[in-house]
Amino acid sequence: MDKNIKSGITFGLIGGFLTFLFGGWSVAVLGGMLGLGLGLSLGSRFERRNPLQIARASFMPALVAAVILVGLSLVQNIFILPALGKARLFDNQVIIANTIGFLVVLLLTIITCAIHGLSERQEGIAKLVLLAIVIITFPFIDKATGLRWSAQVIFALIFVILGLGLNIVVGYAGLLDLGYAAFFAIGAYTTGILSSPQHGIYMNFWLVIWIAAGIAALWGLILGAPTLPLRGDYLAIVTLGFGEMIPVIFRNLTEVTIKEPFTCWILPGITNLFGAKSTLACITFFERQDLTAGEKGISPIGRPSLPFIGEFQSDNPIPWYFLIIVIILLSIFIIRRLRESRLGRAWMAIREDELAASQMGIDPVRTKLAAFAMGATFSGFAGAFYAAYIRGIFPSVFDFSASIIILVIVILGGLGNINGVIVGGLVIMTADRLFLPALKDFLASLLTNTILPSLAGNPVLQAAVKDNANPILYRFLLFGLTLVIMMAVRPEGLIPSAQRRMELHAAEEMAGPVIPEETAKPNAMTVAGKTKAAAKKR
Amino acid sequence: MLELKDVHTYYGNIHALKGVSLTVNQGEIVTLIGSNGAGKSTTLRTIQGINRPRSGTILLEGVALEKLPPHEIAGRGVAQSPEGRLIFPRMTVLENLEMGAYARKNKTGFDDDLARVFSLFPRLKERITQKGGTLSGGEQQMLAMGRALMARPRILLLDEPSMGLSPLLVELIFEIIQNINKEGMTILLVEQNALMALSIANRGYVLQTGEIILSDAAAKLKENEMVRKSYLGIE
Ligand SMILES: Nc1ncnc2c1ncn2[C@@H]1O[C@H](COP(=O)(O)OP(=O)(O)O)[C@@H](O)[C@H]1O
Ligand SMILES: [Mg+2]
Repeated sequence: MDKNIKSGITFGLIGGFLTFLFGGWSVAVLGGMLGLGLGLSLGSRFERRNPLQIARASFMPALVAAVILVGLSLVQNIFILPALGKARLFDNQVIIANTIGFLVVLLLTIITCAIHGLSERQEGIAKLVLLAIVIITFPFIDKATGLRWSAQVIFALIFVILGLGLNIVVGYAGLLDLGYAAFFAIGAYTTGILSSPQHGIYMNFWLVIWIAAGIAALWGLILGAPTLPLRGDYLAIVTLGFGEMIPVIFRNLTEVTIKEPFTCWILPGITNLFGAKSTLACITFFERQDLTAGEKGISPIGRPSLPFIGEFQSDNPIPWYFLIIVIILLSIFIIRRLRESRLGRAWMAIREDELAASQMGIDPVRTKLAAFAMGATFSGFAGAFYAAYIRGIFPSVFDFSASIIILVIVILGGLGNINGVIVGGLVIMTADRLFLPALKDFLASLLTNTILPSLAGNPVLQAAVKDNANPILYRFLLFGLTLVIMMAVRPEGLIPSAQRRMELHAAEEMAGPVIPEETAKPNAMTVAGKTKAAAKKR
Repeated sequence: MLELKDVHTYYGNIHALKGVSLTVNQGEIVTLIGSNGAGKSTTLRTIQGINRPRSGTILLEGVALEKLPPHEIAGRGVAQSPEGRLIFPRMTVLENLEMGAYARKNKTGFDDDLARVFSLFPRLKERITQKGGTLSGGEQQMLAMGRALMARPRILLLDEPSMGLSPLLVELIFEIIQNINKEGMTILLVEQNALMALSIANRGYVLQTGEIILSDAAAKLKENEMVRKSYLGIE
């Protein structure tokens, strides 16, 4: 069968299956995404020629995808809904939603595909415009269709920022940081402490977000400094330790007393030696202050507000959405500039070979500290946004699993690649926060209404099925599985950096007989000896 | 220009350099020869600050280097083509050469320097987009030397540039070293291939288990009985 038609079928089936989970208007929104995805993947396969010709070639796959999508969506309405114990919903709404879905798939597939027929420059611009339209219209479409995905997408975007920050440390500077969520926690707690009734301080969010980033950066330096002499595994272990420590510290900063040491301990100590009493009163800054409210966390935390919009509210995700989009755009801009800068090149050199880098005049200490500090800065932004958005912060959010999820985002997306990290963050987090919960609800309804009654004859099996059919239980299993499969099938990540792709290629080539033509190799023994000697020197 | 005075370097309690003193004057090629394990690489690494001397002084144009970290020594105009080459394997040839110029404060003349490196090593120009790690041994040697030159150093330290290369390529590399020197570069050349090294150098030092046992004009060393026997393999 034609390869393009096959793609159409695959995309149609995936979209159709997702309508099973989400139902309602999801067919229209999914249709839009499906169209964009299919169009992009088809477009890259065609030679650059007349857009009209490409558009014509993409019509059949688009039609196939649209038919499958709408077909499955109708199956959902007619057969699945009753099986879930819900009423069949074959009303005007459904007809309109499916018609729109159908047209959107056709239209968007053909448009995105035809873009490839333009000149390279125009194609770039057109893609950017398309992307901007999607980003800007998404929350409004989401609201109009009642899908309520925005709230979860905002979560995904928070993790995109975290991924971008960690990418500086791991992807650019090559420092494996397993405790990155610590800086996220520091950003969030800074916001919580400076803008909540906990201490009666209500600083403006627009100020706090910068303070949070600054304090996170400072802690990046403080926690980075002791790891400087460490490499590889040792570095990873120490950062893991820091990552575990920080939430524990926040959990326990519930009775903080800060006294001025001279008047409280040193002077009384000295006067005591002479059997006298200190006459100076002890100066106490804090006495048994509850800094972080321990396990129950800090809430409510202050929220941003803007002229015209007013204070951001929980029930309206749109301002939050655009705020985080702005933060991400800013981050991308800064990180791009950093990567091209002198510092960026120093990071790459350190990642490659620290000794050689120092011989080029690169200061490893400053370069590594800069990586930790810059990486932490972005998690400070993310932490401040998160605290305000959730309105409360709890120590358990920032544990090891958060660090691991961020690391998985970076690796899955493509180490060292900004676009890859963004895609990785969106894929992992929407899978975690949208897909799995929807799958859980779907399975739960299906079980109670259809499957469990049919198992009434075997109560043991019935109970077992009931208890285990919750995909959220398998979250980390699924993350792990995804990572294992990715590493085996596509180790360079979803969207690898050009650098990385070539590295993996180079590694394959190097595995072959690249012993160069000029290299006189006296015998294998000396060659092995030399490499060993070289290894020892490092 | 470069002066080592009674330098002692240790690896733990291994006494690798036992009071090495040597001088390199402006515009010279000075070679340091010695057998495997004599401490030649240790000498260069000590000059570069990668190993710290326990005692002794290292002066570059009268300024003490021995307390500075490696990146500052590099910043003062000491560039090395290290043993084992230590190029950046996953960067392209061009990126490697750009890294060489990292320490330079002003980048004017970068393109000229690049052109000069490519005229010295035309092979590098052909491989400009290739990853360093995929180059052959000889090409990696050229890249390491080219990268060191991109720093516009005041003195160039070369650690066994002939290592692992075929006789034909060794000839070529030594010819290039001579050319670089003719353009005014001061060079400290470490070699096990004493014959080749002595034939292009002005002066030479012989290092044996961490001590300088002989120093003289290169031509005289070539005639020296002991050198002929132990290092040139001529009875
Ligand atoms: N990293 C190291 N740790 C311990 N000993 C070393 C190290 N590097 C070199 N040595 C020892 O120092 C001595 C001088 O080594 P080196 O300078 O590499 O010799 P050369 O370059 O002349 O062959 C040798 O005895 C070697 O074993
Ligand atoms: Mg050596």
